[in-house]
Amino acid sequence: MLANPDLLALWITFKLALTTSLVLIVIGTPLAWWLARTKHFSRVFIEPIVALPIVLPPTVLGFYLLLAFAPDGVVGQGWWLLTGEYLAFTFSGLVIGSIIYSLPFYVQPLQVAFENIQQAQLDAAATLGAAPLDRFWSVVVPLSRRGFVTAICLAFAHTIGEFGIVLMIGGNIPGETRVLSIALFDHVESMEYGAAHVLAMGLLVFSFVLLLLVYSINRHWQMRFAGAR
Amino acid sequence: MQIAADIQLQRDTGFALALNLAINSKGVTALYGPSGSGKSTVLRLLAGLERGARGDQISIISDDQIWQNSRQFVPAHARGVGYVFQQAQLFPHLSVRGNLTYAVRRRRGSIPMSLTEVSHWLGISHLLDVSTPQLSGGEAQRVAIARVLLSGARCLLMDEPLGALDHAARLQILPYIDSLRRRLDIPVVYVSHALDEITYLADQVYLIDQGRITDQGSVFELASSLSINSHGGDAVAAVVEGQVTEHDPHYGLTRLSLGDQSLYVSLRSEAVGSRMRLRIPARDVSLALKAPSETSILNILTGIVSEIEPVGEQPGLLIRIKAGEHYILSRITRKSLAQLGLQPGMSVFLQIKTVALLTDPT
Repeated sequence: MLANPDLLALWITFKLALTTSLVLIVIGTPLAWWLARTKHFSRVFIEPIVALPIVLPPTVLGFYLLLAFAPDGVVGQGWWLLTGEYLAFTFSGLVIGSIIYSLPFYVQPLQVAFENIQQAQLDAAATLGAAPLDRFWSVVVPLSRRGFVTAICLAFAHTIGEFGIVLMIGGNIPGETRVLSIALFDHVESMEYGAAHVLAMGLLVFSFVLLLLVYSINRHWQMRFAGAR
Repeated sequence: MQIAADIQLQRDTGFALALNLAINSKGVTALYGPSGSGKSTVLRLLAGLERGARGDQISIISDDQIWQNSRQFVPAHARGVGYVFQQAQLFPHLSVRGNLTYAVRRRRGSIPMSLTEVSHWLGISHLLDVSTPQLSGGEAQRVAIARVLLSGARCLLMDEPLGALDHAARLQILPYIDSLRRRLDIPVVYVSHALDEITYLADQVYLIDQGRITDQGSVFELASSLSINSHGGDAVAAVVEGQVTEHDPHYGLTRLSLGDQSLYVSLRSEAVGSRMRLRIPARDVSLALKAPSETSILNILTGIVSEIEPVGEQPGLLIRIKAGEHYILSRITRKSLAQLGLQPGMSVFLQIKTVALLTDPT
């Protein structure tokens, strides 16, 4: 374990963002695909539910998650029966909260990318003998690379920057739930502006570099496929 | 591969299909009809790209395998069919070579030619490393044809493959599709609303209108009646297929056999034994009851009058004459009809003034 509390917070933040992104890739990708392709009526309800965290104050979401995560709450109880651990004020709880909070930032860019893939391209692949999963890997993924890069980076960056939800369901437990944004808040609270600057400037530069990377990668691919569609 | 399909479906929009198809194991079966007649939907059903809705009665059987009925459905990727779309549908993230190897890696059986051979034949060798969005429409469609050949398809479905191309590109690709059926031992189903493509390529033709088959038969049988319906007046022509039997450089002629009869065309470069399709305009065919002698006309055939049809408001008549398996049209006046006393079943001599290859400009 790291000695410096800020480095520890950095490590927790990184672990949280990485775990959240990985889980989102696994569950958000099929969800985005389903939303992009389905004609099922339930889409009308699922889409706004996915988008809710964009408009909802994080504290609202955090409040209801806290109730659900409580040992006598629905989710908290189920999780306890399943794993023998609590959810509220734990890293696992933080991951679940982050997944819900960052879901639209992952799903929406990907859904747009998937919607831009013409059915005829998939038909062509199918009549060349490609099975559904093969079609996904060989046609859908390469054609929506830009969507994937944007989605993963947004989900990652957004998880790093979250504050309200962490405060509600995570608390401030060093080494468990104390993330950078909380650490920054603590520094400001105790008037340690120097330490606050290090964290704030670090987050600022990191976010800028990440977005710079996303835009330049996307620009590069856009040039390569100019006129592709 | 042989395919038998029985398709009955009805949509709220008024669109309906009610037809029965039998695709031969060899040759080109054409589905010909106006836009919106349902022929493309039929092709997509055959490919497994469309499944129909609940309540549709669709039965598709290929050889002994059930592709679709009320209980079973074999998806497109498992049917072993190849599909050529109106737009080439090349993968934009892959080069031309990448598109071809995509097919080779997923091939379903033996491939008649290697990637190099196919590229050479279709004239795309110099494009292999080009990215596909840079190709012209004609080039892209040639790559699409190469790709489907390399996929080892056991049946080729073509949905208006020339529909999105300009005239020059169409003329360039048509001969490739024509020689496909000679090179490949697999059935081809060809959907089009262009009569010239059908007469050039098809062996069997299904006429489809508003989801129903209105006529079916060999292209030679149908081409003459189709020509009347679509052209009316002067352009009416019959289509026949002859086999090159002899070249005569001295007189600058090539002799073609048409069943047990002969036709002369201006000297061609095609090898003896190759088959070519010819257009014989009805206005260039005159009839006689006795063998014409001492005439400058070289091409004289015999046949049996099968039908006599009026042509719209015009004073002329069209006579359909059966010569072996072929049909030839002749346009004559009512007066000639009365003088000769023509009746269905009578033997006649046909004097043919001009014969043009289908590839020649009209």
